[in-house]
Amino acid sequence: MISKEKLKDYASKLMFDMEDSEYETLQSEFEIILKQMDLIGQIEGISEVEPMTFPYVIYHAKLRDDVVKDELTKEEVLYNAKQVKNEQVMVPKVVE
Amino acid sequence: MDYMDKSIDEIRKALDNNEITSEKLFKEANALAHKYQEEYNCFVTILDEKEEDTSNKTILSGIPYGLKDNFSTKGILTTASSNILKDYVPVYDATVYKKLKQAGAVLVGKTVLDELAMGGTGTTAHTGIVRNPWDKTRMIGGSSAGSAAAVALGIVPFAIGSDTGDSVRKPAAFGGVVGFKPTYGRISRYGLFAFASSLDHVGYFTRNVKDAAYITDILKGQDELDMTSLPDDGKKYVDTIDNEIKGRKLFYIKEAVDLENYKDNDDPELKETLKKFYETIELCKQIGFEVEGVSIDRKLLNALYPSYIAISCAEATSNNANLTGIPFGSRGDGKSIEEIMFNARTNGFSELVKRRFVLGSLILQKENQEKLFLNAGRVRRMIVDKMNKLFEKYDGLIMPTSGGVAPKFGDKTDRLSDRYLILENHLVIGNFGGFPSISIPSGFVNGLPISINITGRVFEDDVVLNMAYKIEEKLNYKNQIAKGVK
Repeated sequence: MISKEKLKDYASKLMFDMEDSEYETLQSEFEIILKQMDLIGQIEGISEVEPMTFPYVIYHAKLRDDVVKDELTKEEVLYNAKQVKNEQVMVPKVVE
Repeated sequence: MDYMDKSIDEIRKALDNNEITSEKLFKEANALAHKYQEEYNCFVTILDEKEEDTSNKTILSGIPYGLKDNFSTKGILTTASSNILKDYVPVYDATVYKKLKQAGAVLVGKTVLDELAMGGTGTTAHTGIVRNPWDKTRMIGGSSAGSAAAVALGIVPFAIGSDTGDSVRKPAAFGGVVGFKPTYGRISRYGLFAFASSLDHVGYFTRNVKDAAYITDILKGQDELDMTSLPDDGKKYVDTIDNEIKGRKLFYIKEAVDLENYKDNDDPELKETLKKFYETIELCKQIGFEVEGVSIDRKLLNALYPSYIAISCAEATSNNANLTGIPFGSRGDGKSIEEIMFNARTNGFSELVKRRFVLGSLILQKENQEKLFLNAGRVRRMIVDKMNKLFEKYDGLIMPTSGGVAPKFGDKTDRLSDRYLILENHLVIGNFGGFPSISIPSGFVNGLPISINITGRVFEDDVVLNMAYKIEEKLNYKNQIAKGVK
């Protein structure tokens, strides 16, 4: 079984924490998921297959020209920030 | 007279004949949205002011609709049903919303989803659970729960959702309505909050197949803001929807619909669902389809769901790293940037979403990548290659959308059972390969709707719609709303 400490470490790498009881639920959920994952290993010849990352090969993708248009205004960019000062998002001092 | 339970054709006719105005339609939809809100919880936001662009006259002009709350709508609250975005008001429009606005469609409200679209129950939104209009003690399914319920209740004739594993097609089945997800890239994802980018599709709920074709015709086309969007194929899908289907070939996965393969094969609900499926197959044959059962390795079928979980959680973990509460979203308290982010994310995400993120993190750890993440990608290729091979001979895959009716709240599932791994989760094949895929109502078990799913070749959305339309015509469950609602 995956230890609670390991799960706590994964969560903290993702920048959040969970309740103790939630880690316990996660532990039992992981057991099921890892058993499910074991099913994958049982497939014959799996290791010779190239992993797929996209539904089909894209021939049509084309990067548009790097032209500035439809840009957001400063007010729009800052609209959803909870703390703003001097047209910038305010955060605590980084350098003491 | 009421119009919101009618088809798009019927509403269009009434508008064109001046029997009704778009103002009155909006008022009707708005009143229904409010009427059912407490009971079913379809909406995060109900618009009380009508917005309409009258510059273009299209089939959808003046017609109300619902939009899942993970599509950006400039100036309108968009929460993705998550506490971390509970006050977020986008400053730009999703292409889907923009296109619908330009087509004259009228937004009634933003619909509830499983938080960040990461769930299949409709029970994890920050504003509460969504109930099934056919039976309030049951789920409607998710993640596009509110959109499904709004169409099933007859609040709106259509509603937009998104589908990463089955998030449109499964709730459509549980709600007794049509759910369609076109080919990956057919519709721009710009402004749709990303869950798992390689699997995310725009999809929608309607009460008949032709309406789904109308909406696809409006929404499809290349978008320079989504590099994965497909160039327009120049077709009008609604024009070919009634094409002759004689000689079209369908297959079903034998292992998945053989009762003997399931441990709980004495479950009357499963028995009845599979019996009805075979009846539908007979009906397909009667109208000219050739239908055959095909074998696919059960080990591969059993690996579909875990592979989906591995790929989607890994992609979601990365996609949602932007939710820090600093440039937007609910901010946490703290003495440093790190603390602010940590607290924003700890308080902003629900337990289920956090569990999925941790799983994504585990899968992406260096020591697990080979066994978990890369193997999942290998399963994806194997099943997609297999499907493409089968599509050389067959025009489509036909399957029961689910092995039964909508589950009750609190129902327990054995997540290692073949039934769960295969019958309840085979729809992910459509997302793995980007195949167009539609679910249509196919009858009732214990008074609750069941459904069949048709999945076709990539890029052949027109053929899938055509085949579904012809089957729907014979099945006779089109334009239904939940019994007892009216």
